[in-house]
Amino acid sequence: MSGVQVGKRIIGAESPVTVGWENIGRVEGGPIKQMFFTYFQPAVLFGLLAFWYYAPNEWALASIGIAVGLGFKVFLLGLEWVNPRYRSWQLTWKEFATDVFYVGLGYTILRMADSYIGDGAMVEAVQGAFDWDKFAWFTDLPLLVQALLISMIFDFGQYWMHRGMHNWYPLWLTHAPHHYITQLNINKGAVGNPVELFLIGLGIGGFFDFLPRAFLLAGAIGMAVGTYQHINVRFNTPAWWRFIFNTTEHHSVHHSRDYEATRSNYSGTWIIWDRIFGTCVDGEAELLGMEGGRRMDIGETMVYPFVEGYKSAKAAVARRLGGGTQPPQLEPAE
Amino acid sequence: MKLPLIDFIWRTRGELRLDPPLSADEAFSRIDPLFQTAGTTYGVDGDTLTYAKRNPGAQDKLATFTRGRLQVEQRGQSAVMRYDLSSTALLLCFLAPLLFLAFAQLAVTINAWEKTDVAATEATAKAKDEDKDKAKPVPKLNPVDEFLGAPPPEDPNKKKDKKKDEGRHSPTRAYVLAGLFFAIYLVGRWLEPWLIRRRLRTALAGE
Repeated sequence: MSGVQVGKRIIGAESPVTVGWENIGRVEGGPIKQMFFTYFQPAVLFGLLAFWYYAPNEWALASIGIAVGLGFKVFLLGLEWVNPRYRSWQLTWKEFATDVFYVGLGYTILRMADSYIGDGAMVEAVQGAFDWDKFAWFTDLPLLVQALLISMIFDFGQYWMHRGMHNWYPLWLTHAPHHYITQLNINKGAVGNPVELFLIGLGIGGFFDFLPRAFLLAGAIGMAVGTYQHINVRFNTPAWWRFIFNTTEHHSVHHSRDYEATRSNYSGTWIIWDRIFGTCVDGEAELLGMEGGRRMDIGETMVYPFVEGYKSAKAAVARRLGGGTQPPQLEPAE
Repeated sequence: MKLPLIDFIWRTRGELRLDPPLSADEAFSRIDPLFQTAGTTYGVDGDTLTYAKRNPGAQDKLATFTRGRLQVEQRGQSAVMRYDLSSTALLLCFLAPLLFLAFAQLAVTINAWEKTDVAATEATAKAKDEDKDKAKPVPKLNPVDEFLGAPPPEDPNKKKDKKKDEGRHSPTRAYVLAGLFFAIYLVGRWLEPWLIRRRLRTALAGE
């Protein structure tokens, strides 16, 4: 495989990656199907923004946001069935049950733990320690500006945390299990070691005071864009969307078996962060995963960072003490 | 170990008529592609094939049933393939509701434990709350949003009907997930044996 030069890098030398929008697959079918899968994403985004912008206060609740999110996911599961991007990513009963298990952990035990040690608790502690006031001026901005700022600030944090995970071994250990997924489906974003899910959820948004409605609008942007990161649906996504937002195409490149390709497209929602920091690769990939596509089971996913961390630490100590030959350290596969 | 009733949870048994009759070798060679996947070990002993899969790939046709025994039996002029397959995934899915019920119980326990903590400091907290209430400024919409007709934010000083103290953690989600996993189990217990039967039949027919 020769790969394609993108900037100074060769993408797709180790595993097939399609580079460039002109080369990726398109929706096949009649004009109505074409139209649906071209305008669905923007229609949902603008529809949700309008809904949260004008919803009366008694509707503008986080619980309704969660209900809308769940309904949306169920609908997208249907779309995966109707118009899959790759047959080789088709959802099976076992994959679905496994994915729901990770989602379930996130909704229950991790959420409980997060209320004590998550970013909310940290922000509270920092503010309590220094007696800072929140940035009250933030609430005077137009709602959509507040929402954009919340979304972009959070995603900026995610971008660097994610990039850090691909560049610093201890963080990589927490993120590696997520890269063992071999196909993208709607709930695959939740698949990974709980420590990683905790780290990626950290944000500095809590330092800012904002109107609850702005928070819901930001949530809607995250939902109507970020959800498509892990989805097996073929869309003819509009060019402007692909320019500013992350897509399943971008994210499949990130999950590819090609090492160089995985060192790209780190953002969750705003791919423009990748464009600004020089890590964006426009394209798509079908063959995903690590170690030739070995699937990691739930048990290994839960203990991987600790087991691998222990092995590496032991090896490092042995090296320091002048021990024998050491096995090569696992390379962060960005 | 024989657990004839309980093992219905994770096992599926059945037989397929081989029409026209096939020898064991011929039948096993037809289903051989199902075992040519990563993490699969299998062996044939006369008329019996035994296999085991360790962590099969997502698209492995036998991903759910990771261990099994298939036997070809000649019955006069005809032949049948009997199968007895077991699934760790089905068993774990059957047990998953228990885990989520445990999470729900944990939430209830922590709530009860924290409630006693809160009661001790309630008086001081109340006084603080009142101070806070007085200090809260009323948030205003930006003129742009007013012009576009967005509903104004609620006055934080307005006393809301205080909900009953339900504690920090709601066990509801865990209950819902326990129910969801039971539903997923029921679907899987019906769907997966049906699919495996169909796959074996198709493979044996040589289609």
